[in-house]
This record gives sequence, C-alpha cells and structure tokens, in this order.
Amino acid sequence: MEITVNGAVRIVDAEPDTPLLWVLRDNLGLTGTKYGCGLAQCGACTVLVQGLPVRSCVTPVESVAGLPVTTIETVEQDDVGRRIVEAWVAHQVPQCGYCQSGQVMAATALLKQVAAPSDSDIAAAMTNLCRCGTYNAIAAAIRNVAQG
Amino acid sequence: MKRLLASLAIPVIAVLAVGAWFTTRIPASPFDGQGKSSLSTTLERGEYVARLGDCVACHSTERGAPFSGGLAMGTPLGTIFTTNITPDKATGIGSYTLAQFDNAVRRGVGPDGRRLYPAMPYPSYARLSDDDVKALYDYFMNHVQPVQQANQASTIPWPMNMRWPLALWSAAFTDGRVYRPDPSRDASWNRGAYLVEGPGHCGSCHTPRGLAMQEEALDGSAKAYLSGALLDGWYAPSLRNDHNTGLGRWSEEDIVAYLKQGRNRHGVVFGSMMEAFNNSTQFMTDDDLQGIARYLKSLPGDPDRDGPPWQPDSATTQMLSSGAAPAMPGAATYLARCASCHGRDGMGRGAWIPPLAGATSLLAPDASSAINITLNGGGRVVAGGVSDAYRMPALRSQLSDGQIAELLTFLRGAWGNKAAAVTAAEVGTLRQHTNPASSEVIVLQMR
Repeated sequence: MEITVNGAVRIVDAEPDTPLLWVLRDNLGLTGTKYGCGLAQCGACTVLVQGLPVRSCVTPVESVAGLPVTTIETVEQDDVGRRIVEAWVAHQVPQCGYCQSGQVMAATALLKQVAAPSDSDIAAAMTNLCRCGTYNAIAAAIRNVAQG
Repeated sequence: MKRLLASLAIPVIAVLAVGAWFTTRIPASPFDGQGKSSLSTTLERGEYVARLGDCVACHSTERGAPFSGGLAMGTPLGTIFTTNITPDKATGIGSYTLAQFDNAVRRGVGPDGRRLYPAMPYPSYARLSDDDVKALYDYFMNHVQPVQQANQASTIPWPMNMRWPLALWSAAFTDGRVYRPDPSRDASWNRGAYLVEGPGHCGSCHTPRGLAMQEEALDGSAKAYLSGALLDGWYAPSLRNDHNTGLGRWSEEDIVAYLKQGRNRHGVVFGSMMEAFNNSTQFMTDDDLQGIARYLKSLPGDPDRDGPPWQPDSATTQMLSSGAAPAMPGAATYLARCASCHGRDGMGRGAWIPPLAGATSLLAPDASSAINITLNGGGRVVAGGVSDAYRMPALRSQLSDGQIAELLTFLRGAWGNKAAAVTAAEVGTLRQHTNPASSEVIVLQMR
C-alpha cells in the first residue's frame, strides 16, 4: 500500500485496517507521534491529513491512501508550524512533553484555518489532554502566534 | 326450566370438550412413529442448520454451557427462561422422539401437549423443511454435550401462566406451513426466502408486532413484513427497499458483506444484530448469503413511510471544517467526541468506522438505536475468530442526557439527514433501562 507522508510516497506492508499510528511509528520509524489512549480521546497521536487534525490511533491506514499526511517531524517546514514551535519554546509550554507533539499539530491546524481564533475557538479546537495541565501555556502560545 | 338447562348443557359441554381437546392435543408430525434409526446426517449438516436458526443465541447464557438454557426473557406478563435443549435425559430433550422434537420446533408444542411461549420463534421455524428438522434433531441428540441443568419456572402468575390459551394464539397467528418455493423465482431467491422467513427468523426482530405480540406478517407477501420494529431497546430497521430507513441504497454485495464480515461501507453490525452476526450469519455459505441478499432486495419499500429520499448535503462538513467553534452545542460535542472517528464529513472510515451521513439508524423513525449505542457503545464484533480493531466507546458516563439529546438532534439533521429531534427525556429513559444496576433494566424481550 502507498501512503504519502511528509511529502514523500512510502510503500508500506500493512493490513488495510492497521491504525495509521502503528504504520507511522513501527513501519516508518516516525516516533515523534505518540501513543496515548488508543481511543481517540487524548490526542497524543494527532497528525494532519489534508491539513486537518486527525487522531491516527483510530484511523485505518487504508483510509488515508492518496491523502497528504503531515507529522511532527516536518511540521516546522510549514510557516505556521514553525511559528507555533517557536512560541512553544518561548513560552516553555512542555513539562513532561508526552502530549506535546499532538498539541503542536492541533494548534498548527487551528491557526492555518483561523488566523485569529477567539478563546472559544481555541477551547473548541484544542481538545487534546495534558496530564501536566499545561493548558494555560498552550493557549498563551497560540494567542501569541495569532497576534504575530 | 330444568329441561332447558339440560338441553343447553349438552352443547356447552360439547364445546368445552372440543376446546379442551384442541388446546391440549398433540399435533400430527410427518415423523410420527419413526425411531432414531432413520437418521443419516453428518455433523456438519445439523450444525449448519443450528447456525442458521441461531438456537444458541437464546438457549445459552453468557457464562453457561452451550444450549443449556437459562436466559431470562422479559414479557409483558413476567419473566420466562429459555430451556435446556441439550440431550440430557432428565433435564434436557434427551428423551424426545423426532416427532416430539419436530412438534416443539415447528408447531410450538411440547411432548406432553404443553404449548411453548412464542418467544420460541416456531411461527418462523414452521417453514423448516423436513430434512432440516431431521438434521437439527440429529445434531442435538448426537453432537451436543448433555448438560444436567433444570429449567427455571417462569415468574408469570396464575392464571396467566396457563399454557392452553396459546393453542388459540397459534391458531389465530401462525399458518404452520412448511416453506413452499415460488415457481416464478429462481433457486437462489427461493433459498434466500426460505432462510429469511424460516430458520433465520429475521422477522422476530425486524417485523412490527401487533397487540397480541404476534408478528404482523410472516412472509414477504405483506407490506408490514420486515418493515422495522423496536425490540430490546434497539430499533431493528426495515430490511425492505426503503431508501432512507431500509436497504434501498444497499447492493446485493453490500448485504452479503454485512452478513459475512459484519461490516460494509454503509455500517457495522451493532446491538442485537451484532449477536446474530457473531453467532449465526457469518457462518452461512456464500451461496446462502447471496440468496438472502437477492430475496431482501426483492421486497419493495414504501415511499409514504420512508419520506423523501436522502440526499447528501455538504453544508455540515463545511461548518465543521472551518476551524471555528460551532454555534450549535450538539455540533461542538460532535467535534470533541465523535469527529475523530466518524469524520467532519460524517463519512466514517471505509468499512471500518461507519458513516453517520445517511445512516439508517439516524434516519429511522425511532431514535432508540442511536441513543442506545451512544450511551452503551458497540459490542465486540468477532469476525472469523478475530475481534474488531475499532469499537464505538460507551459515552454513558461522559455525556449527560441533555448533551446526548443535543448531539443526536444535530446528527439527525446533519449532512442532509432529516429526522425528528431527540429529547433528553428519551435519553434518560433508555439510560435507566440499560443500566444493569437499575430495577427496570431491559431483559431480553420476546423474540
């Protein structure tokens, strides 16, 4: 099966119902995307498919064949993604860091769609969980990027 | 006066005598007088008929031995328990002759003339061929492990627990006919009709029931047959060619895939159908499934009942994909809880995660199935011995009645879906009835 990850066409040997997350981590070695709950609840596994945030743990790989997938490994090649990562560093958002690649992907998707999100837009889009409770720092970093 | 009474008494006694005979008689069976020696069927043949009839679904409990009975079934009068149909001589059916077995399966009459409750789907099993009854008898007598487990008495109080009135019920609501092939149809269609109307007893869930709990129709000649019904907290949808609420948009291949793999591009088995899939339909041969598909696709829909045909509408997808917080509370819940799997476009993920856009369970007149699966999640779909990779989670403890009502009201109006709103009270009722700790829990109803 052929899938397009970070701009490159990759051939993977996997059952069609294998979760995209497993293919990314185990077949392609892209371990920046994390396994959290496996139930689409926590968001640690968020990647972008056609620019929209997708929880890769519940996404059968067959369903993204032919669609562009972007992971945390190349998010900085995107202008918005790069500014998000810089703001993350400036605000020292991560504590343990486990959920943060998913948070960065979700924030990038939000700002690419809504350049100046309201607080309720941020709350609606950033449903990823963080057990360290970095939510305030995440919201501050997003607002910072939105204001330029 | 005395003579008048006496002359009246004679016809009254005669009527009573005929009535008593009729309601307690043991009907004739084509196998009367035959011993066990006439059997010559293979294990596979009988086991296959037992799979077709899905006997195990009711005659077993989750942790009990196969076919040893004991499953509680709620009826409007009280709870009855399914019986031990293992060949144990003392507590099972080990001493049944073939004719007695036949009378129980096809006519609902026990060996002592006692009538069975029609929770046993004998009105459908009446269609079984003599050969299939023989094969089934052979399977239960010679290949099922005998288990000594006494049957439990029902909780129905006297006088409602008398069985003889059921003879009158049977006379009124069953035709007791073995399946007769329709010569104007081909062999595959006739095989499908036999399986659906007979051993498959699809109508037990999918056909609406009348006041006496009888199925309103037992074969495809009536419009009510397989037109959708509420049972056990699930709405078993129409299996006729209704565009919105039935199989109108399904191809024959879609039906075969659904019954063989448990999933297709339209949906995944859930609720009571998941049990029927796990225990029965996936074991059917491809030819038999093809016949079922052929037969079901020949049953016309009813546009008056079904409403204007569903047309996809992408406005919902655009609203959910804009990145902005949706104004509707139901849509916000959808984005946070559901969209990761079912998608902003409501199209699911291939055959693995079902679509909600145009989904039968969301277009159905009764929202019970949608409420039930949101509260309690999907069960374990086991196809070919492997359980499913993607399963609907239970949201009972995460969403309130009001949130679920808003969510489902949104979904019943999204992507071109047009169905009535769901109220918090409806969700609350089903939450109570599907809570195992509740005293009003739904136990299996009449099947």
